[in-house]
This record gives sequence, C-alpha cells and structure tokens, in this order.
Amino acid sequence: MKRVIILLSFLLLALPGAALAANLDFGVAPQGIAIDTFYNGTSVTVEGAAPEGADLVVRFSGAPEKVAMKQKGKAFGLLWMNMNTLHFDGVPKVFLVESTLPLKDLGAVGPTLGLDGLTDKVGIEPATADRAMLLPELVKLKKSEGLYRERTGAVTLGESAGGQRKFSARLAIPSRLSPGEYAIEVIAVKDGLIVAQSSQPMSAKMIGAPAFLADLAFNHAVWYGVLASIIAIIAGLGIGLVFQSKGAH
Amino acid sequence: MSIPMELYLPIAGNSVNIMAVFGLGGAVGLLSGIFGVGGGFLMTPLLIMMGIPPTVAAATDSNQIVGASTSGTLAHLRLGNVDVKMGLLLLVGGVLGGSVGVQVIKLLRAMGNADFLINITYVLMLGLVGGYMFIESLQAMRKAKAPAKQEPEKHVKSSAFGRMVGMLPWQMDFTRSGVRMSPILPLLLGGLVGLLSAIMGVGGGFIMVPVMVYLLRMPMHVVVGTSLFQILFTCVNVTVMQASTNHTVDFVLALILLIGSSLGAQVGAVVGKKLGGEQLKILLASLVLVMMFKILYELLARPDVLLAYIGGH
Repeated sequence: MKRVIILLSFLLLALPGAALAANLDFGVAPQGIAIDTFYNGTSVTVEGAAPEGADLVVRFSGAPEKVAMKQKGKAFGLLWMNMNTLHFDGVPKVFLVESTLPLKDLGAVGPTLGLDGLTDKVGIEPATADRAMLLPELVKLKKSEGLYRERTGAVTLGESAGGQRKFSARLAIPSRLSPGEYAIEVIAVKDGLIVAQSSQPMSAKMIGAPAFLADLAFNHAVWYGVLASIIAIIAGLGIGLVFQSKGAH
Repeated sequence: MSIPMELYLPIAGNSVNIMAVFGLGGAVGLLSGIFGVGGGFLMTPLLIMMGIPPTVAAATDSNQIVGASTSGTLAHLRLGNVDVKMGLLLLVGGVLGGSVGVQVIKLLRAMGNADFLINITYVLMLGLVGGYMFIESLQAMRKAKAPAKQEPEKHVKSSAFGRMVGMLPWQMDFTRSGVRMSPILPLLLGGLVGLLSAIMGVGGGFIMVPVMVYLLRMPMHVVVGTSLFQILFTCVNVTVMQASTNHTVDFVLALILLIGSSLGAQVGAVVGKKLGGEQLKILLASLVLVMMFKILYELLARPDVLLAYIGGH
C-alpha cells in the first residue's frame, strides 16, 4: 500500500503541465480576433517570461478536425481530376509555428513541435493511402493558403532577471481565417527537452457587416438571395439610367 | 495607408483588394460592352485566379450579371428590341434548366467534382464558341476581299434541321422576330442554355446569342435585346437558388464587380461603335480561345497540389 502511494506521488511530480506551467507566463494582445469589414489578417502580440537559457516555440493553432478531401489523379490517363475521397483526422484549420531557432536545431523534441510532429499524428482513411506522398501534399495545400507556417524571426528574447527571461512575439494571422476557437501556446525547450509550456485560448469572431451578411446568407438563405438580386437590379437600373440620360444629349 | 483597400468577404472567407475587384469588373465590363456579350465566361475564371473558391466565383458572378443585364435590357426595351414572347419561352426553359443545373452542382460538390465539371464545361463551351466565331469571321473577312463569290451551301446544310423543326406541333408566329416555329424549340434550347449557365455561373449570353442567331433564325438586333431580357431572369433564379441551396453567393463581391462592370460596359459600348466589325469579332474569338487553352493547360498539366477540399466551408 505504501509503495503504491509513493509511486503515485512520483507520478504526480512527473506530470509536466501543472508543475512546469508555473515558470512560464505570458499575455496576449488583443484577447480575441475580430473579423470586421476591413479584416485582412492581423497580428497578435505575445509577451511574457520564460526560463532563462531556453529556446522558445510559439504556436497559434486550431483544434484538430476531420477533413474530407479528394486526391487528384489522372482520369483516362490524360485529364487531372479529383479521384478518390480521403478522410484526414487530426488536421487543425490553422497551424502557425514561430521559434527562436529553426525547430531542427532544438534537439530531439524540436521537430515534433512543428509541422512534422503535426503530420505524424494525422490519421488517413483508408489506411492503405500513401502517407509519405499525401502528408506533404496536405502541408503544401495549407501552406499555399497561408494557414500553415513554420518559421523563425518573430520571437525576440529580452533581458533576464531571477532565472526568467522576457520574450515577445508578433504572430501574423492570415486573412483566410474562419471564425472559431484557436489556442496560443508557448513552449520552452532546453537541451532537446521541453522545460516549460503554457497555453491560452483565443477566439476569432465575425463582427459588424461580415457577421450580419454571414448570418443572413446561412440562416436566411432565400431572403439573402432575393435581396442580393433586388439590390443588383436597382444598382443596374441606376447606372443604366444615369448613362442613358447622359448619352441622349 | 489611410483608406482601407482590403475588404473581407464573409462568404468567400478571404479578403480581396477592392481596387483589384473593381478593376476586374471594369475590364470585363469594357470587353462585354465592346463585343456585346455578358462577360461571365471571362469573369468567373479570373475570380478563381484571384483566390475566390470556384463555386463562390460562379454563383457570385450570376448575381453580378443580374445587375449588368438590367441596364442592358432597359436600353433595348426602349428601342423595341425585345421579343417578349420568345424571351419568356426561353426563360421558362432556362429556369427549368437552371434549377436542374444547381442540383447537379450540389450533387457534384458533395462528391468533390463540381470544380472539375465547371472547368470541363468551360473548355468545351469556350472552344466551341471561340472556334466557331474565329472561323466565321475569318470567312467573312475573306468574303469581303472576294465579294463576287456566293455561298448557297448554308441553306442546304441546315435544311434537315429546318424540316425537323417544321414537324414539331403547335407552330406559332413570333412577330417581333419575324419567325414561325413550335414553342417546344425555344423551350428546349432555353433549358439547355439554362443548365449550362447554372453550371458555369454565367448568364449564358455567349451560348444563347449563337443559338438564337443560328438555330432560331432571329434578326441580330432582336437577338441582343431578347438575350439580355432572358439572361436577367435566368440569373435572378440562379442567384436565389445558389444562395439558398449552396450558400455560395458573396454579395459584397458581386456589388463591387457590378459597379465596375456596369461602368466599363457603358464605356465599352462607346468604344465598340468606333471600332470595325470583323476585326473585333476575331479579337473576341482569340480572347475566348486563349482562355480555353489556359484552362485546358491546367487540366493537362500536373497540379501543384494533389489534394483538394470537398465542398466549401
């Protein structure tokens, strides 16, 4: 019985999250992302303090989702078209990684924190699918949309005091962002190991005109279509009348 | 920068540069004003190139054409160039065909093949119309060089079609167009054009005009007015159907395009009057063919990415 308790307490100590989060603290600004009429991507500032001597990885990511996709292949040996359906599991909508050093230079744990680590956990159905070919294609597609990224330079380290070192990061959020829940994580890596990590939720919401239009388009679809047509007709009549009265004289 | 130039499109789910979209509308409107076509066949692929999802581009373009064809119809109604009876028959066919087309797109979207169908329809229609116009205007230019040569074969070639049409029931007169035929013919042809225009997201003008000239034998000035009249209603139907079934109409995008294209079309109409006939036709035909080869190349060349999303959002 005693041994079990000792074992349990060791396990608790070994649990990384609770114990390690204590020495990594950060704040984000703004608290949430507002997609308004003139939204064209934005930037989120992350500032905090991390253990001294550690390298930092800052991630902005969506929750892992299931995505159905079509694989392109040659039809009739000639035309490229969408062929068989694939179901990917564990694919976040967005996955942006910023780090102080390239992930491959952060030791053993480095690559697992980036796109390699992400795709390792992606499941593909059917199981016979060619992972080695498809996963890079998935990353390529997401990268071309600006939704996946892995780079250095946006995280800067500041002065240190009492074993902690200040840091700040500027995350460029893409314009092609869907409303939803995202998370910002900061991970401190030293000697190829995670020494601290912490995460905060971040939500993206449509506000103003886009929110109004999206609500109309999805929840009152027929009215939206009718209104779009009527406004187009009025605009067409207006422009036509203006030019005809000019042209007549 | 003081004035925001980027606008977020809630349905397309991305932001675009206002001036780029406005310029695109203006350029396509200018061409359509010069050449007398709706311009949808150019607009949709160009929107896709700007990063708008193909299904959103096609549906939004229908919405845009509603506005553009309204001002055109207005002008032609005043000139007495609209055969309302013929237009309504084509319209009934067009609405039925368009409704079928929207369901076809919905089905194919669920299967992930919508974008492929849009592309292949484009290649076929652009190739057909562009090729035909190119050859026809080349012949016309040659004829102008040798005016003595007569061409009686044309009537012989279409007589089989003419006899078949003559056998259809309920023959009636279309006074404005000066033709006599069964209402079944415009209904069927209208349905075909409606189906294609729903799939491609175009008003169908560049298909409808040759259909009316060569198959319905209507005089050219009535063709243009009636085509616009018919396109207006077809596109209202397609817009409402696409909005309610597929949620792919981006009204913000459509409105910017519409303002650009209406202005461009007015300028184009003035420019078109000052330019010569057959050369214009051959220019348009070349433009259509270039567009076709571009899309064809994309179908034949290996894509950059071998994966595609199913559906939209």
